[in-house]
This record gives sequence, structure tokens and C-alpha cells, in this order.
Amino acid sequence: MGRAKIKRGSTNVDMTAMCDVAFLLLSFFILTGQFKPSEAVEVNPPSSVSNKHAPQKDAFLVSIDKDDRVFLNLTDDIKGDIWDELVKEKNLNVSAQDRKDFMGTDFIGVPFSQLLQFIKIPSEQKKNIKMPGIPIDSTNNELEAWISAASTAGQGKKLNFLIKGDNSSKYFAFGRVIDAFKKNDIFKYNLVTNAEDVPPGTVLYEENLKAQHGGK
Amino acid sequence: MAEMEVKSGGGHKGPGVKKGKKLSTRVDLTPMVDLGFLLITFFIFTTTLAEPTAMNLAMPKDTKDPNLENKVKESGSLTLMLGKGNVVYYYYGNDPTKMQTTGYKDLRKIILDKKKSTPVDDLFIIIKPDKDATYKNAVDVLDEMTINDIGRYAMVDPTPDEYKLIQQTEKAGGVQ
Repeated sequence: MGRAKIKRGSTNVDMTAMCDVAFLLLSFFILTGQFKPSEAVEVNPPSSVSNKHAPQKDAFLVSIDKDDRVFLNLTDDIKGDIWDELVKEKNLNVSAQDRKDFMGTDFIGVPFSQLLQFIKIPSEQKKNIKMPGIPIDSTNNELEAWISAASTAGQGKKLNFLIKGDNSSKYFAFGRVIDAFKKNDIFKYNLVTNAEDVPPGTVLYEENLKAQHGGK
Repeated sequence: MAEMEVKSGGGHKGPGVKKGKKLSTRVDLTPMVDLGFLLITFFIFTTTLAEPTAMNLAMPKDTKDPNLENKVKESGSLTLMLGKGNVVYYYYGNDPTKMQTTGYKDLRKIILDKKKSTPVDDLFIIIKPDKDATYKNAVDVLDEMTINDIGRYAMVDPTPDEYKLIQQTEKAGGVQ
């Protein structure tokens, strides 16, 4: 009796389909993604049901990190004007090189006394130094000066004042930031948050549903 | 795995002319798949998919003149004080000593109950985050206002008396 031979199946798997999927996903991620902008510090904003996108132009972003330090991010379209205005208001003695250094700085997290030193540090090393944050004490609120310079420099433009706080930052710091804005007669802000679904069954949920059906 | 078979030897083995063996056209795609997934991983880690959203916040102007202050009907006001450790203290009307304690989960019910029992024009919610509340707490409560469609609300600091009251309650409750 001859033993029945088990036929050896080929171990080759056709990779074409998998390859297709991989590159399809790849192109999807390339097209939908945006590169993470460099940030001074890691800030995890809370989530809200708001579905409005945070403005990216003419943005004056105040970040509050988990240790209640305050940082400032300016977009390039207003950065130069704010610097000029600040130099004028503070009577700083600066050179054209300083302005260039400032333009190359993504975020500001130091008091004015250290500002000129800070902007000279090459940008790769800036992340490694410990920044004290912009002072926001009631006696020494330097954020106020920044806001004042920004609102003067941004006249004629619509500046977007954004506040981005970390989940675990204290309300106290946020209150101080708001105070600094209020002193400059600015009462409207955008709070940067992560998107969140509207809980079903609530008034807003019903309204959104109605709006969707109306739009169809 | 690559099936590029090369004919070994060559001579005529049998009678007749041997047919040229067809070379397989299959190319091994495994390295290409590897590369594809590597790139996908790279892009997932370096990009942000969800654009951050922004919620609007308008603060009232601080006024020293009491005549200019918004008058709030006592019957229609609900004050929410945000304390340490994700706790909310709330009271109706103007009497802080009657405050009750709750958490963020039950807040919506309290707001909705108040909304139902009050005429729309009278309803006013006052949000008072104290120093120890986190920023997330404040945003969460503002979000509740949007969710429950509360037209009139304001965010102000608690009065010293209220702050004292909160601290006493926290001490009694042992909130760290």
C-alpha cells in the first residue's frame, strides 16, 4: 500500500493586495494630515462640543501649561509688527539682527529681562532650556505689555486672541491671563479645545439634528 | 520567494527541441508592503489629524459702578461654584449658605431642572471658579451652557465670603 502523499501547499502569499492597502492608507494620511507645529511645551487642551476650527491666521496664542507657566506663540504675519511696536513702547535698544532672531523664535516664555538673550539661542536648543514663562503676577504682568503691543500693531487687522490651557492647569492662571486681556479692553477670546461629540438627547443635539435635516 | 527561475545547465536532454521555459512574472512585494507600513507609521506619528477647535468666550467688562451691573432676578439665578477636586457647589438665589454639593456628572440635570422651572428671561447662571478649580472644569461648565442652550450666563470670581464657605466645606469634607 502506498502511503497517500500530502501535497505541500505553497507558502507564498500574494502581497499585491496588501501592498495596495498599505499605499492607499499612506496616501490618505499624507493628504489629511498636517504636520504638528512646534510648540513651546506640551499642552493638552480640554475637549468641548464646539465645532468651529481654531483660526490659524493673525493668531495671538497664549498657552498655559500644567505648571501654570504662560507662553506666547505669534504667527509670522503679525510677529514683525508686534516686535516693532514692543521696541517702541519699551524703548529697547535693538539691532536688525535682534529682529531677525525674534522672527525665528516660535514661542516666547521668558520675562523681558531675558528676552534678548533668549532669542539669540539657536532654535534647536531652545527646547532644552527651562523657561520660567511670561510673568503674570498682579504686580508684574508682562503679558499685558505684549497684548498692548499686539493690539496697537494689529490695528486694522482682526487679531484672533487664542487661549490654550492644559487640562490640569489651575483656573487661577487663566484668570490672570483674562485680567491682562481685560486691562487692554479685549473681551472676546477663542479657547482652543479638542472636538468632542455632543451628548445625545440634549438641546444642542436636537438643534444640530434639525439643522442637518433642514439642510438636506 | 522571488520567482526568477534561471535555467541551469542548458544542453538538450531529450529528443526534440526543448521549449523555452516561461519565466514567472511575479515579483515579491513583501519589502514594498514593509516600506508602505513604515511610512504610514511615520505619518501617523508626525501629523495631527484633528484640527483643534475653538470655543468663543466673551467676558463682561469690569465695572465699578453698581448701577451699571446686570440685575439678576433672585428667583432665576443659579450659582455654580467650582471647587477643588472636581466638585461643584451650587445654590439658588442669593443665599450662599444654602449651597449644595455635586459633581460634574449631575450638573446637567441640575441646570436642566432649573431651566424648566424658570421663565427663559429670568434664567441666569453665574459661574464662579475658585482658585483651586482647574481650567478644564471651567471649560466643561462653559460647554454645558452651550449644550443646554443657556442664553445668559457669566463667569466671575467668587466673593471672599463664598470662598471662605467653600474652604470650610472642603475642610469638613476632607477634600485635598
